[in-house]
Order: sequence, then structure tokens, then C-alpha cells
Amino acid sequence: MKSKTDGVFESQVTSHGSRAPHAHPNYIGIWVWLLVLTLLEVGAVYLHLPRPLLVSSLLVMALVKAALVAMYYMHLKFEKILLTFIFTSPLIFSVVFTVLVLFDSPPFH
Amino acid sequence: MSQAVAVESVYGRLGIHNKKIGMWVFLASEVMFFTGLIGAYIVLRFGYPQWPVPSTILNVPLTALNTFILICSSVTMVKAFAAVFDGDQSGLKRNLLLTFLLGSAFLGIQAHEYMELVHHGLTISSSLFGSCFFTLTGFHGAHVLGGVICVLVTLLKALRGGYVQADHIGVEIVGLYWHFVDLVWILLFTIVYLI
Repeated sequence: MKSKTDGVFESQVTSHGSRAPHAHPNYIGIWVWLLVLTLLEVGAVYLHLPRPLLVSSLLVMALVKAALVAMYYMHLKFEKILLTFIFTSPLIFSVVFTVLVLFDSPPFH
Repeated sequence: MSQAVAVESVYGRLGIHNKKIGMWVFLASEVMFFTGLIGAYIVLRFGYPQWPVPSTILNVPLTALNTFILICSSVTMVKAFAAVFDGDQSGLKRNLLLTFLLGSAFLGIQAHEYMELVHHGLTISSSLFGSCFFTLTGFHGAHVLGGVICVLVTLLKALRGGYVQADHIGVEIVGLYWHFVDLVWILLFTIVYLI
């Protein structure tokens, strides 16, 4: 038999992890943004922009799309901040790792 | 007299379902897995000025369509989760089926693109670009395949009424994995096909 506090706790916290029911994010609205950004990315390639501008704008757009999927479809925006830390802390190591290995490449010799 | 809890709540002390934390930690390890591959790609490309322009070898429009298909599958996946969250069983089943079909379509188009490229001489051992391309997209495709199988298993369980409004953590964590696969592709498509 569950204890009284256990039952109360379970009814407050749904499997979604949120304390109270909230309206769903506008999934279709986010989908439109993802579509627009994808079209802009492909379009940028055919615009023959200067290389540094092309690379940086593509990376920004890709990161924005990734952030939208993470925040709204994976619900990180509505979850406890711990989950965001779990997911984003490896990214620091990713950057460190790539930059350090980059120093081994020919342009740095 | 209050009774001690005989079974620990799956929400533990953090207030987050164990399975959800488990999936997020697994996804964090997957971030490092793809970091290894994508980081290697960046480093190799950075040190090799004669790298071919990807749009001259790869079918960017077809892959842009494939990217759109995968994004759509993320929408249907989250809609499946929203459905069971709201107690809508038919919405759950319908959207899981759509996710499965869209994911399979992605794989089919990838397979087609692979065959076209091999036919035109790009293989995993034909050039550094070929090695990188097939390794990165191949490992991603393997992740998509695993995801498609998981979505199918989830769909079959949903058809048997295995998920209800009060208990649907399985749908949620399959969804997390599926969105992650989409997220990686968003980055891969940009880095490998466009830059």
C-alpha cells in the first residue's frame, strides 16, 4: 500500500515531469520555423556569399534549428534545468576536443 | 501510522522519471559519439584545402527534401506524445504510424542516394571525402534504423493499448531519442552537405 505522501507526489508529477499541466507548445509553428530555416540554409548556398559569411550564417541557422527541436519537441524548455545541463555539458567537451585536435592539422604546423 | 514506502517512486529525489533521466544521459553520450565523427570531419576538412565542394558531388535538393521528411517525422512523433498525454489513443496510434512511415522514407531515400553515389564512383574508400561522407551519414543512418525499429515496437504496444494517459513514459523516451536523431541530422546536413 502506497504511503499518503507517495500518492500525492505521483499525482502531481506526471510522466512528463512537469508539476502542473501546461498547454502544449505550438508544434506546427515550430515546424514552420524549421522549414523556413531549412529553405534559407539551402538558399544561402546558391547565393554565392563570401565563404566566412556563408559558413557562419549556416552554422547559426543550424544551431537555431537544433535549439528549437531541443527546447520545444524535446520539451527542455519546460523541464527541470538539470536535464538541460545533462544534455548541454558534453557540448563544452565537444568544442574543447575539436579545437585541440584542430591544432594538429597542417595549417598549424 | 504512516507507512514507509515499500517501493521507491520512479521519480526518485529529483522529481524526474528515472527512464527520462536515463535517456537524457544516454543522449549526452551520443552527443560525444557524434562529436568524435563531426569533429574529425571538421579537422580533416580544415587541413585539406582541396576538399571538393559538396554540392557538386552530393544531391543537395533531394537531401533537403529528406531533411524536411525527418523534421516532419519529429512533428508526428511529438504529436503522438501530445496525444497520449491528452488521453487521445487514436491520435497516438496514427502519429506513431506516420513517424514510422516518414522515418522509413528517410532511410529509403538515403539508400537510394548511396546507390547513386557509388554508381558515380564515390565510395567509402575512393577518397577522403567519400570516407567521411559514408562514415558520418552511415552511422547516423544506423541510428535512424534503430529509432525506426523502436518506433515500430512502440506502435505495436500502443495498438495493444499499452500506453495510457497516466502511464506513457515509453512514448516520451522513444520520442526523445527520435528528436535527437533529427537534431543530429540537422547539424550533419549543414556541415556535410552545405558548408
